[in-house]
Amino acid sequence: MQGEPSDLGHLQSIMRAIELACSSIQMNFNPSEAEATILSLSQTPHPYQACKFILEHSQVADARFHAVAAVRDAALREWSVLTSVDKRSLISFCLCYVMQHASLPEGYVQTKVSSVAAQLMKRGWLEFAAAEKEAFFVEVKQSIIGRHGVDVQISGINFLASLVSEFSPSTSTAIGLPREFHEQCRVSLELDYLKTFYSWAQEAALGVTNRIVESDSAVPEAKVCTAALCLMLQILNWDFQHYSSDGARSSINVFSVDIRYNGSSAIRSECILVQLGPSWRDILISSGHVGWLLSVYGALRLKFSSEGYWLDCPIAVSARKLIVQLCSLTGTIFPSDNHQMQEHHLVQLLSGIVQWIHPPDEISKAIECGRSESEMLDGCRALLAVATITSPFVFDGLLKSICHFGTISLLSALMSNILKSPMINNPEEETWSCVARDILLDTWTALLATAECSNGIAFLPSEGISAAASLFALIVESEVKAASTSAFNDDDGSDYFQASISGMDERLSSYGLIARASIEFSVPLLTRLLSERFAWLHQGRGTADPTATLEELYSLLLICGHVLADEGEGELPLVPEAIQTQFVDITEANKHPVVILSCSILYFAEKSVDPEIRASIFSPRLMEAVIWFLARWSCTYLLPPEDNRDSNNSLVQDTSQQFRKTICDFFGEHGQGKHALDAIVRISMAALISYPGEKDLQELICRQLLRGLVRRKDICVHLLVLDSWHNLANSFANDRTFFSLNAALQRSLAQTLVLQASGMKHFEASLYVRDLMSHTTAYLVELSGKNNLISVAQLPDTIMMVSCLMERLRGAASATEPRTQKAVYDLGISVMSPVLVLIEAYKHESAVVYLLVKFVAQWVDGQIIYLEAQETAVLVNFCMSLLKLYSSHNIGQISMSRSSTLINEAKAEKFKCLRALLQLLASLCSKDLVDFSSEPIESQGISIGQVVYVGLHIITPLVSMDSLKYPKLCHDYFSLLSHMLEVYPEMVAQLNAEAFVHIMATLDFGLHHQDIEIVDKCLRALKALASYHYKETIAGRLGLGLHAAGFKDSDGKFLEGIISRFLFSLLQLLLFEDYSPDLVSAAADALLPLILCEQGLYQQLGNELIERQTDPEHKSRLANALHALVSSNRLSSTLDRINYQRFRKNLLGFLIEVRGFLRKA
Amino acid sequence: MSDEEHHFESKADAGASKTYPQQAGTIRKNGYLVIKGRPCKVVEVSTSKTGKHGHAKCHFVAIDIFTAKKLEDIVPSSHNCDVPHVTRTDYQLIDISEDGFVSLLTETGSTKDDLRLPTDENLLTQIKEGFDGGKDLVVTVMSAMGEEQICALKDIGPKN
Repeated sequence: MQGEPSDLGHLQSIMRAIELACSSIQMNFNPSEAEATILSLSQTPHPYQACKFILEHSQVADARFHAVAAVRDAALREWSVLTSVDKRSLISFCLCYVMQHASLPEGYVQTKVSSVAAQLMKRGWLEFAAAEKEAFFVEVKQSIIGRHGVDVQISGINFLASLVSEFSPSTSTAIGLPREFHEQCRVSLELDYLKTFYSWAQEAALGVTNRIVESDSAVPEAKVCTAALCLMLQILNWDFQHYSSDGARSSINVFSVDIRYNGSSAIRSECILVQLGPSWRDILISSGHVGWLLSVYGALRLKFSSEGYWLDCPIAVSARKLIVQLCSLTGTIFPSDNHQMQEHHLVQLLSGIVQWIHPPDEISKAIECGRSESEMLDGCRALLAVATITSPFVFDGLLKSICHFGTISLLSALMSNILKSPMINNPEEETWSCVARDILLDTWTALLATAECSNGIAFLPSEGISAAASLFALIVESEVKAASTSAFNDDDGSDYFQASISGMDERLSSYGLIARASIEFSVPLLTRLLSERFAWLHQGRGTADPTATLEELYSLLLICGHVLADEGEGELPLVPEAIQTQFVDITEANKHPVVILSCSILYFAEKSVDPEIRASIFSPRLMEAVIWFLARWSCTYLLPPEDNRDSNNSLVQDTSQQFRKTICDFFGEHGQGKHALDAIVRISMAALISYPGEKDLQELICRQLLRGLVRRKDICVHLLVLDSWHNLANSFANDRTFFSLNAALQRSLAQTLVLQASGMKHFEASLYVRDLMSHTTAYLVELSGKNNLISVAQLPDTIMMVSCLMERLRGAASATEPRTQKAVYDLGISVMSPVLVLIEAYKHESAVVYLLVKFVAQWVDGQIIYLEAQETAVLVNFCMSLLKLYSSHNIGQISMSRSSTLINEAKAEKFKCLRALLQLLASLCSKDLVDFSSEPIESQGISIGQVVYVGLHIITPLVSMDSLKYPKLCHDYFSLLSHMLEVYPEMVAQLNAEAFVHIMATLDFGLHHQDIEIVDKCLRALKALASYHYKETIAGRLGLGLHAAGFKDSDGKFLEGIISRFLFSLLQLLLFEDYSPDLVSAAADALLPLILCEQGLYQQLGNELIERQTDPEHKSRLANALHALVSSNRLSSTLDRINYQRFRKNLLGFLIEVRGFLRKA
Repeated sequence: MSDEEHHFESKADAGASKTYPQQAGTIRKNGYLVIKGRPCKVVEVSTSKTGKHGHAKCHFVAIDIFTAKKLEDIVPSSHNCDVPHVTRTDYQLIDISEDGFVSLLTETGSTKDDLRLPTDENLLTQIKEGFDGGKDLVVTVMSAMGEEQICALKDIGPKN
């Protein structure tokens, strides 16, 4: 190693300097200088000797820590110039250091050294020969199997642990190499070493077992065993890809892993499947590993009362973790012997685990008396792991071979026990019983989720079904009890409906699965519990306080919703499989349990229409649950689409066909369906107007229930003939009552009502929309015509009215469909001039202006693609006058207030408006992309490009650098800008100097933005500009003209042309600033045309750059690289795809070559 | 100040009342509200319930539009709140007098001289600098419940 100071005195002075720096950092004395000292150590070339000296001689642990960190940094930086002898000697120095100083107290230094050794080893992994690696590992193995004492043994195991974590992609340290390198290391370690490491750990642990078992108190060997167990666990947690990808899964059928992967998104607890190949069989299965592990843990259990060991001592914890991990072992490690070996393996594990959880009642009693719950929780986790890899039948059978009960019975007993625990319903803290309940619920989900995919084949053993039934009964009982006790908790605010729904949602859907597993019991049970409570409410009306019962009903309704129907998530949910396949023998619809349950809830809900009953029974919260249930239920059951199509092609559907017939007929078109729909509409209408101010409830009605109804066209057809629906539409259009709804909800309602027109014919639909909105437009026209408008407009009630009406219009505009397009167009046309008048009148009220602009944007967005040239012209002129008006009001205006909050709010409101305007321009742009009109719009002399440029011209002065700090606005602005520049670069040439300079300034701002997407957009815009200019000038035209050449501004100052400006700033960015590597290709695309336009400037900049270098070697490297950038790879001076690709490669090579030393200099 | 001066000729239904009742549930963020007799702008609305099966109530956090003080209120969401009648009128700035008053030109051509300059140092300099810089300034005066204050400033180009 050349160039190192080698005399002792010098080394000592370095050591002292570092030690001093370390202590001054600790005392916080001049920390920046101390940091610089330490940093300089790792930045000096070849600091290894000094570092080694410090490691071996310094008494200060921190100094040793920093020394080894410096070794790492320097070695990774100088790796390519180190000789292979140097590299190996560095690694073996670290390894020897770890082994020799194994007993030192400062563990963090040891850990650091061993992780540095691991990192260096990984860095050289692909260059070292197998024998060289062997040489390292021989030493490591010697120490692990205990040749040099306990401490060295632990150090050895810890080194392997850091090696494994370094090689695992998710935990590796960045060493500045491409992903492929990490991937190759990973594969190599996985195939050649992991199993060996595992067997070493086994050997180490086996070697100390006797000492641990025989001794009565804690012995140092226990630490060895713990470390070994941790390493084994770490290895099993490795993301094995080799075995899982080579067809291992195809051999698994009963242990259907694939289905689980797809079908069980509901599983929440982390349960990592360990998929291994046959080569692991000997060390994991046939070697008696499991037996040994269980016996060690069994021996430990006996010692828990004695000194040094307890339930949560490290060795016990890691042993349990390993046992749980072994439960999830799967893959071709088991031969295809009909899974006998796997079952045997699992039975063996369970025989040990069962002691942790059986008998459940005694164990939970012990925990309540203060015993640690961790063993019991680990037992539950093991059950979850087993359930994940087995089918319910196999799962149940596992325990039967060793006990007198099945695993499902045990699971259900455990769960019942936990549900009975008094702690379970304590929402304040996460108690052990909640954790256990969640794990066990996941276990049930894992078992039952297959049912959803197994197409109704009996999937649970009959005891399983009865276990599920009794469990569900218990669950419901416990939930109801929890509800009634919490009914009077006034936990103000924390318990919003939505939040509690989504919080409980996962739990409830697990409950739903359990209920569906025993559907014959659960549905009648729910019916009974509900009707009891309905009866209580009616009896006690006016006399007793119903609160507890209301809360019970609330929670029962949620459970019913989850049992009966699935969340559609935008799709049309089907009747759950379990419900379809059960009750096949019931042919009379009105005796069908599901029908009975649904009807009883509907009947109850219908009573809410009666004002008197509503006042005494239906609290807002109960009503929320009712509406939520109706929304969920109606998506699945109400007027189901009659799909006769697939009845022929699937024989499997035989049984469900029967069911479908029963329930379809009942809630179908010819059964109770229409009546139910009518009831739902009446209930909604009544609830909307009689719960003033209950926002959550109103939101559920508007956004979920009613919106869900109009989503289906066949329901729209039925709504059309319902008096109740007409009533709703009519009062919405004409009554004042609906103005008491929140404005956003009025928008949603308007949207829903307009969407319903999809059930009508064309002409009817137009009439319907016009009637619905006629009052709105009439009011706006009348208001805008008033001659005292300015003063009337500022009245609070006028503001409210206008806001509500604009929201309604916006809702209607957002529901534009081909059938209603004409009507909505007319609607917009009729309010065009009022909108302009109102924008003038409300120029100081940006909240109202926002609503006005937002409506226009929405309207244009829905209309533009359908419009004929003539109509487009009208619309475009309107948009232009709107933009001009808005701009004239806002340009140069400064809000003033003493309150900074109010100032910021005002700014935020303005930016929202601006963003809506940008969206308006963007939707205008879309006319050029999609156009359904019969003649091209150019026939009317409109050019969309021109129009949008004028718009951009008007808006850009309002877009300040300040406003671009708002991420959404920034995003929209640059999207529009890059789109414009890419599609219509020729328009730029026509912009006046001021606007042009402004746009370019924003582009420059965007180039240095943090958001990659925005930088990317700017680069695309630049590329478009420069390539346009280049192509034009080649063809002998002007291109960007003055903008490119540079010109004098009004003050006589010469402004540089934009091409040269951006060439400079882009090079500056690429060479000296920080950016994401993902941007390099986009930057290359922009840089190539820039260079081609300004070749002279490129040469000049390159020369300047070379001149600045002091090192002659750097000078020549830079000169070569600059030359290669524009000449290698047969780069030509055309702008075609191939050339762009070549230049991308060149630029990447160029940056790799020079960026490192340029940035350092 | 007197109402007549900055209203247009007809004030037939231009509310003589200074406030207007509106249901609490419909008041949005950025709307106006009277709290403890002061006109405020709402900066935060949240809802909660009185007991699980009780009725909803709205919790408003608002800022006094004149004094910038923060005020809070809780109202059952079906009840009515008072919403102040806030008007804003533009005037051209003619002069700033020594004693801290501004002289404004109304639409009708007369002058309005009863408005004080803002006391806040920051706002004061913004106005003064603009005025001394020889720019034509339009000031927007916000008035509500008998108080008024300059709330915005707009530069409409250099003075001729």
